Amino acid sequence: MTAAKLDLPEVGEPFLEVRELRKRYGDKLAVDGVSLSIPRGAIYGFLGPNGAGKTTTIRCLMDIILPDHGAMTLGGRPLVRSLRDRIGYLPEERGLYRKMTCQEQLAYLAQLKGVPRREALARAAQWLDRLELGDYAKRKVDSLSKGMQQKVQFAATFIFGPDLVILDEVFSGLDPLNIELMRDLILAERQRGTTILFSTHMLAEAERLCDAVCLIEGGVKILDGSLDSVRAAYPFQMVRVAYRDGGEPPAGLPGVSERRMEDGAWRLELAPGLDPQALLAPLAAAGSLSLFAANRPTLSEIFLVAVRRQRATRRDERSQA
Amino acid sequence: MSKVLTVIRKEYIERVHSKAFLIGTLLGPLFMGALVIGPSLLADATGDQARTVAVVDRTGRVVGPLETALAEREDSYVTLTELDCASGEAACLEDLKAMVLAEEADAGLVIPADFFANPEATFYNTAVGAVVLRDDALGPALNQVLQDERFRRENLDPALRAKLFARTGWNTLKLTADAESAQNAEVGIIGGFMMVMIIYIMVLVYGQQNLTVVIEEKTSRMVEVLLASLRPEQLMLGKVLGIGLAALTQVAVWTVAGAAVSAQGLVVAGAEISLSLFGPWFWLNFFVFFLLGYFLYASLYAGIGAMCNSVQDSQQFSVVLTMGMVVPILLMTVVIKAPDQPLATILSLVPFFSPILMFMRISVSNPPLWQVVTSWVLLAGTIWLANKVAGQLFRAGILLYGATPTWGSLAKALRG
Repeated sequence: MTAAKLDLPEVGEPFLEVRELRKRYGDKLAVDGVSLSIPRGAIYGFLGPNGAGKTTTIRCLMDIILPDHGAMTLGGRPLVRSLRDRIGYLPEERGLYRKMTCQEQLAYLAQLKGVPRREALARAAQWLDRLELGDYAKRKVDSLSKGMQQKVQFAATFIFGPDLVILDEVFSGLDPLNIELMRDLILAERQRGTTILFSTHMLAEAERLCDAVCLIEGGVKILDGSLDSVRAAYPFQMVRVAYRDGGEPPAGLPGVSERRMEDGAWRLELAPGLDPQALLAPLAAAGSLSLFAANRPTLSEIFLVAVRRQRATRRDERSQA
Repeated sequence: MSKVLTVIRKEYIERVHSKAFLIGTLLGPLFMGALVIGPSLLADATGDQARTVAVVDRTGRVVGPLETALAEREDSYVTLTELDCASGEAACLEDLKAMVLAEEADAGLVIPADFFANPEATFYNTAVGAVVLRDDALGPALNQVLQDERFRRENLDPALRAKLFARTGWNTLKLTADAESAQNAEVGIIGGFMMVMIIYIMVLVYGQQNLTVVIEEKTSRMVEVLLASLRPEQLMLGKVLGIGLAALTQVAVWTVAGAAVSAQGLVVAGAEISLSLFGPWFWLNFFVFFLLGYFLYASLYAGIGAMCNSVQDSQQFSVVLTMGMVVPILLMTVVIKAPDQPLATILSLVPFFSPILMFMRISVSNPPLWQVVTSWVLLAGTIWLANKVAGQLFRAGILLYGATPTWGSLAKALRG
């Protein structure tokens, strides 16, 4: 089997595309018609709470489970088995052979991606050096600390020079040093033109790293696009206010749907389309302001709103049906 | 295919480099030898032990000739102690019983006064096992004494007795279509048994390794990383072949070592065992049944392993599979006694039993070619089926963590 060669599109052009992916387990629809378009060279956040269908989607991408329906292409070609040798995958459930030496282990995993043995051994040595594990090359994995084992797992994901890397909940269980290392590895890979699919339920992490995101919940895509376009679609929706003299914002302000005390400040939810600027005058009139903050919504705030909207529409559809 | 080769290489190297493999290769033949020769050695060892028998001889004419007759035997291990009956017959009998009870004698023998007219003796023992002593040594010797006495009474030449009672000597030859071989039946049975035990132990030991290896792969969470690189069927095939190759290596080492030893002449339980006694047909079948048996059981063990999260979990299923190898071992005597009867023929064609029973038939008899070939074909077909079943179980089970599998979930996995 020769390693599949891909005609890589330009950076920014669609690379991995998924159309109408559907997977049912028994009565549960785990993934319900998810479509994705991931540009080459992007760090793409695949986001959603636990059980949203992220891992199922990824396993379909890796041909570990068979989808009931849907099409997947990589670089414009149907995602056949041999093309998966171009994809590095670090699953959430990940481990190593405990009784194998670090170098043998990495070489073995590289060989399974089509790298010839001699070269696989050389690359394994290089990667171990790069991750400061050079002294452990001939040591068995079970003599390594957990943090070191995680480094070996990272190396295994990148060692064969993938065009696409899928990382499933990669930061969970990592210590801060390894989180930093992983982030550096991801950025270095992007530099090489590698596309990264970064799946996580930790939205703050994704916000720091990703260029584009897709949010899914209950197997359904809720929103996707570049981080900027997503934010643009969800403008200011919340203003935080505090008064020096213990005053409070007047009730019934036009365009404020809800007000409540949160972390020592008032939190006002705004109706869509309302400019926070318009609130400044009436709020200032109510007392001596010590805080007026109109923050851009965080991804998790956007997510909460989007999920609520999605559920409401679904309820409406159901009641109509 | 190169991926399967990579897996084969890893599994093979890992096994062959392990201490267990080295120890198994060295000690295996000793263990097998002990299994085959042990019982007869043990029997000999206990048989050779000197025994004393206390005797009350009321004819006064038996003890002497009996001692002579016992001494003439090839394996004379019985000494007689005659009791002095001066103090009266009843007391004498009590003395004898006391001696046996106190274990001063292994058994007691009472010859009545009318023994020559009405040959019935009394044998006292404390352990039922002593009847071996009675039937094996005392009985034949006593009969000889009796016969000699009758010859004398009829005025016949005692030398005539030896002529009249000369026993049949056996010269057993095994006929095959093309030649008569000098192999005798004992060699066929012992040698066949030894080779059957090799198949039995190797298929079980190496087959079950597939189960533990797959479970290890699951518990170490390696499996999803691997499945991102190769199909479950490729992973399973690589493991089964890699482990099988290690088993084959071990058997090959033994065969070569066995050939070297038998060139020196190996005597087992009084029969010379030589690898050259078995023809190419026997050896062909040994490797065919060994390999086919291994593939059948290995793939099913791997499939079961994929459904389970721990070896304990897997036991309820693997026990059933193991029975497939144990039952034919229990049925082996049926086949040895009547290797060409319909019962043996049918049993040996059952694919799960063939590696043991058909091969046993080949070593003790000459089953028709069509039967042997049919068993190959049936076995190969079953392997094909087993691979489909195991592949299905593997795909369904390999990513299942947590839940303890049941027969129900197994059936569900098979329905897809």
